[in-house]
Amino acid sequence: MADQRKSWRDRGLMLATLPVSALMLFFFLVPLGLTAALSFQSTKYYRVVWSWDTGTWIDVFTHGHYWSIMLQTITMALACVALCIIISLPVAYALVNRMRSVENHVKVLIVFAFLTDAVLKTFGWVLFLDRTGVMNGMLETIGFGPAATDILFNPGATLLGMVYNLLPYTIFTIYLSLARIDRDLVLAAYDAGASRLRTFWEVTLPLSRPGVIAGGVLVFVLSLGVFLESKVMGGGTSPMAAELIRQTFETRVNWPLGAALTLVVIAIGVLTLGGAGALFLHLNSRKGTA
Amino acid sequence: MNEKTPIIDARSIDKFYGGYQALKQVSLSVHAGEFVALVGPSGCGKTSLLKILAGFEDLSGGSLTIDGHDMVGVPSSARPTRMVFQKLALFPHRTVHQNIAFPLKLARRPKEEIDRRVGEMMELMHLRAAYATRYPAQLSGGEQQRVALARSMVSQPSVLLLDEPLSALDVKLKKSLQAEIKRLHRTVGTSFVHVTHDLEEAMMLADRICVMRAGRILQTGAPSDIYFRPVNGFVAGFIGETNLLPTRIERPAGGLRFEAPGLSCAEPVLGTDQAAEGLEAGEAALMIRPEMIVLSKNAADDGECVMEGRVEEFFIKGASIQYRVNVPGVEAAVVAEVPGTSQPPADVGDNVRLSFARADLFVLHRD
Amino acid sequence: MKKLMNGMAGMGVDRRTVLKGGTAAAATAAFGGGFGMRPASAATSMRYMCWEGYDKESIIGPFEKANDAELSIDLITDSAGGFAKLAAGGYRDFDVVSSDSPWIARMGPAGICEYLDDEEFADAYASFYPQFRAPFAPLQFEGKATGLPTRWGWVGPTVNTKFDKLETWSSYDPCFDPAYKDKICVLDWGDWPIMPMALHAGINPYKELDDAELKEIRKVLRALFKNTRALVGDLSVAQKGLMDGSFRALIGGGTYCTSALRKDGNDHIMSIVPEPKDGLNQGIIWMEATGVLKGTDNPDLAKDLVRHMVSPEVSVDLAWTEATCNLVPSQDAEDLFSDEQKSVLQMDYMWEAWDKSQFHDIAPNVDEMLAIFQEELAAAN
Repeated sequence: MADQRKSWRDRGLMLATLPVSALMLFFFLVPLGLTAALSFQSTKYYRVVWSWDTGTWIDVFTHGHYWSIMLQTITMALACVALCIIISLPVAYALVNRMRSVENHVKVLIVFAFLTDAVLKTFGWVLFLDRTGVMNGMLETIGFGPAATDILFNPGATLLGMVYNLLPYTIFTIYLSLARIDRDLVLAAYDAGASRLRTFWEVTLPLSRPGVIAGGVLVFVLSLGVFLESKVMGGGTSPMAAELIRQTFETRVNWPLGAALTLVVIAIGVLTLGGAGALFLHLNSRKGTA
Repeated sequence: MNEKTPIIDARSIDKFYGGYQALKQVSLSVHAGEFVALVGPSGCGKTSLLKILAGFEDLSGGSLTIDGHDMVGVPSSARPTRMVFQKLALFPHRTVHQNIAFPLKLARRPKEEIDRRVGEMMELMHLRAAYATRYPAQLSGGEQQRVALARSMVSQPSVLLLDEPLSALDVKLKKSLQAEIKRLHRTVGTSFVHVTHDLEEAMMLADRICVMRAGRILQTGAPSDIYFRPVNGFVAGFIGETNLLPTRIERPAGGLRFEAPGLSCAEPVLGTDQAAEGLEAGEAALMIRPEMIVLSKNAADDGECVMEGRVEEFFIKGASIQYRVNVPGVEAAVVAEVPGTSQPPADVGDNVRLSFARADLFVLHRD
Repeated sequence: MKKLMNGMAGMGVDRRTVLKGGTAAAATAAFGGGFGMRPASAATSMRYMCWEGYDKESIIGPFEKANDAELSIDLITDSAGGFAKLAAGGYRDFDVVSSDSPWIARMGPAGICEYLDDEEFADAYASFYPQFRAPFAPLQFEGKATGLPTRWGWVGPTVNTKFDKLETWSSYDPCFDPAYKDKICVLDWGDWPIMPMALHAGINPYKELDDAELKEIRKVLRALFKNTRALVGDLSVAQKGLMDGSFRALIGGGTYCTSALRKDGNDHIMSIVPEPKDGLNQGIIWMEATGVLKGTDNPDLAKDLVRHMVSPEVSVDLAWTEATCNLVPSQDAEDLFSDEQKSVLQMDYMWEAWDKSQFHDIAPNVDEMLAIFQEELAAAN
């Protein structure tokens, strides 16, 4: 735990990371600056007019529907984070503690699922969940009425798709932090008289917190950029932020507005990252480790 | 607890890991208040035995009772044992107070009692009260050891199991913590089972030592027994250096007659108590500890038994000087340890005479 | 066609882009990345900006061979983006462009495209249906033509006649009928679903609109979303739902949605045009055109490529692509289609559709309408 502290005052280290930092700064900050600049222009007949005014921002702040979509996006993202963590914890725990012999096989399967194109997976879900899909077919044959489940093309389906596609992130981050827990700590808890459940609650769960936080942040930030799931599984009728931005850039060809909305989403993401980072530092400082 | 009934009674324990047998017919009993050390090289099974006692591993065969209760199938959380882990296993996310209080909290003791007992334990382990709110990572290695000991002792277990908790410490800290553990044992009167690969540590701390090798117990006995009356060369060689001279013995009624090349004794006869148990007539090893040997250059010096040879090398160790002497007829150099002095009694190449008392000889099984 | 201003929205088309290289590639494409370039080794090299389909090897290959030319292709994913790229100076790098006709029509007056003398293309016009012959108004500006039409079709409800009679869709009324609740599929293709709804509301969306009219459009969209099961960008999802009856009609599509299904023998799937309402045609004709960019180094060869594209043989090939099948202006090509192909393209219905339709154009108030669409969609759920 003590090996993580790298000094900001280490000149050699700073110098060594300089090229990468410069590259990152250039390729991140410059486009960000351009995006910001773009948001102060206006558009006429599908062409950007360099007007340098705040019309776009006034538009953003006076139209409720942009914000209702943002709110919808944040709500979905939070729900997705919660579900991913709730599902990943037992999965990762089982991987580390109960499935030692098949652990690597399962990991490979998860990686395969992870690497499979999200478009394919998402369309697969449509085939599975549709009114005339595999699931309803099965439910009908075992005696449920036709179209027993109708969960496609609504926000619930979007959430299902998001959780499905983003789950590997939380599984792996939580898996890594669970795998790093010294087995002796668990034995020490048993030894002190704790049941398995109590040990999980008192030792395993608190120590997996770095993985939970990291996975949660990753999933949240990625959730902000989700468009495929809402479009394909959600039926497009409750668009999320990324879809709004895509529509604005591509369908409306309103680049200044798209840039402004992009900045709003980036701001939400940055605030979340900042909050999570602060929380993390706070938790760690209490332990006296960095 | 009756002195006669052992706290731990392990009988004929076998332990298999797949096809590998880690413990073979191991029997061990530990009495109330006794300090037993399990010693042996790594892989000898001492840690497996400790884990079986703690309940982290099931036994494959044999029986185990602790405190008069059958322990087979009883999880570690329900056993009257506490473990001090090799890497201490302090909970990094809990303060010192929370760490020590953990077993009491699990036992649902009232808060006042927990606070009082944690305070007492910290005092007993010489931990400053201010440390209560610190996290383990903020403490030194020695302080962490004390916290680990405090945590395992706070709920007054019948048996404390120590899994080489001192192995990672530097020599100085190790010595002070050894004294600490000894003092703790004397103060609380709990039975301690201490696993170590360091026989010297075992001899300092334990009432009884159990030497293990390849899954078996070779010898169990008081430290002096282990040292002076080892059952075989392995046990004899496990602590310090010793001389094992190949010998042939005969066992006339009520006595023991020996014959060893290079060694001349006025009367080559030993008492029956000077031989390892179960030793039959025939090939054996004759043990003489280096510090029992007197080394001199003049032939006049006499002892009951004498060897003559030439100094091959010597080392000044401070408190003592170690000589390695080539004795005609003996393959390995004979080691003699003489009291330290600024004038070594002999130089390399000198012819010397090694003499010792017949009573210091011990005959053991040849490996 | 539908690809007009829909960019990635038309995931049926652009799904390929997504599959190939994920969003990054799609984004690059959307921002007009110049891939698809091949090293020039032939005598002449030209750059051709076009929709998918025009780049078929069976179309480009013979032209390259016959003229010892090498064409490097830039596929566009949205018309507006393509126009923006050319207008920003990109026209200097290109020789020929095939895009949606309203955009091509604007390129002449905007100084991006050369005007084409109708006389020079007299042979080509002569091979067209009378409706497309010179002077062809939709592509004319002050009596001068920018480009020749190359593909066309109509926008109207796409219906599965196994579930609904065609007469049911002689107007857009079922879109608002509670009986069709949760059975309507709206295609997420920019302004395409908006225009028919405006027409249904009695408003011609291709003229300048006032606030009252925009309010009407908002109302009709709100009502549409009440019955909408899904807003679908991907053609295959829309087609699947239509086949199994979970979508009773696709709104905002048309021939572009049906041809692939009809090609597979599903001739019970049809796109029709609703009956005129209060004197306002309810159908919309879309068209793609091909023009020559200003300042091309090879004006003659560029014009030859335009002629090549509208020649009867190429027209048949262009009509029949992997993803969709569409009509072509060439009358001479008609005899080259098989009866089956004619049926797939609903040729027996095309002039009826033509007569009951508006020409698609760039609406002056399209951004307001798109904003309203976004707003009503966000409020719908």
